[in-house]
Amino acid sequence: MTGLSSLKNIFLPEALWDDVKSHCRRKLAGEYLPGETRVKRAYGMLAGTLDGDAAHVLKIFYFKKNARMHEPLKSYMDDVMNRYAVASKTPLSQRGWITDPEELRECYEICDRDDLLAIGTYHMHIVPWDHDRLRDTPTKLDMILAKNSNLFSFIISLVDPSRPIIRAFYEGIREKEVPIIIS
Amino acid sequence: MARVIIPFPYRKYTDNEREIVIDAPDLEGTMKRLVQMHEGLNVLFEQPKLLSIFVNGRLVKVQQKDWSQISLKQDDEISLIIPIAGG
Repeated sequence: MTGLSSLKNIFLPEALWDDVKSHCRRKLAGEYLPGETRVKRAYGMLAGTLDGDAAHVLKIFYFKKNARMHEPLKSYMDDVMNRYAVASKTPLSQRGWITDPEELRECYEICDRDDLLAIGTYHMHIVPWDHDRLRDTPTKLDMILAKNSNLFSFIISLVDPSRPIIRAFYEGIREKEVPIIIS
Repeated sequence: MARVIIPFPYRKYTDNEREIVIDAPDLEGTMKRLVQMHEGLNVLFEQPKLLSIFVNGRLVKVQQKDWSQISLKQDDEISLIIPIAGG
């Protein structure tokens, strides 16, 4: 059985972590690439290989398109957001990211071609909450969206952009955190 | 015989098989046979709004009730994609 649920460590090369941080900061600054959805959120995938109970990240996929406003995905996301999202100054209709199916299919194709496994996706939290100043853990909404994904949710806290934090949670479940070793 | 490509996150339901070969005349028959062979893949169909099906790289834009209208040929490649979402 292939599965990531029994991992004990995730190794992330420092250069790739720098790339992820650059992606997040660029989107946060409102700088967009051609064809990229113009929202100040970064969403991407970490892919790599397994070695026993460790995963080694070898490649980052930077998703360009947010299908959040495209039916039928929009109505699915609207429903989940209305039920589980914590109120914020950003309207629910403008929150959340769902991958474009074509972009994800191409990502999986490249993984198969290059013998890489999808380890998980990342997104960033930028607004501190009164009861959660760092925002470096998944929300209930994150967990609902990651249910049955068989992937890790990587949460990147950019509450303090000068001190980003990355943590990994299998299917967005707080109790299923796996340490990330930046090497 | 169509080839159904299983995305990595769902290969735990196919004993790590990437590709399942199925002999059925249309998309409906192929999907039925697929979940008969690998029951765990029913998870792909739990949220019908989320499932995207590609035949030879082209998105199939028909509802599930009309899958029988999608005929399949020898060596057609079917990809099943469930988008990934974050808050």
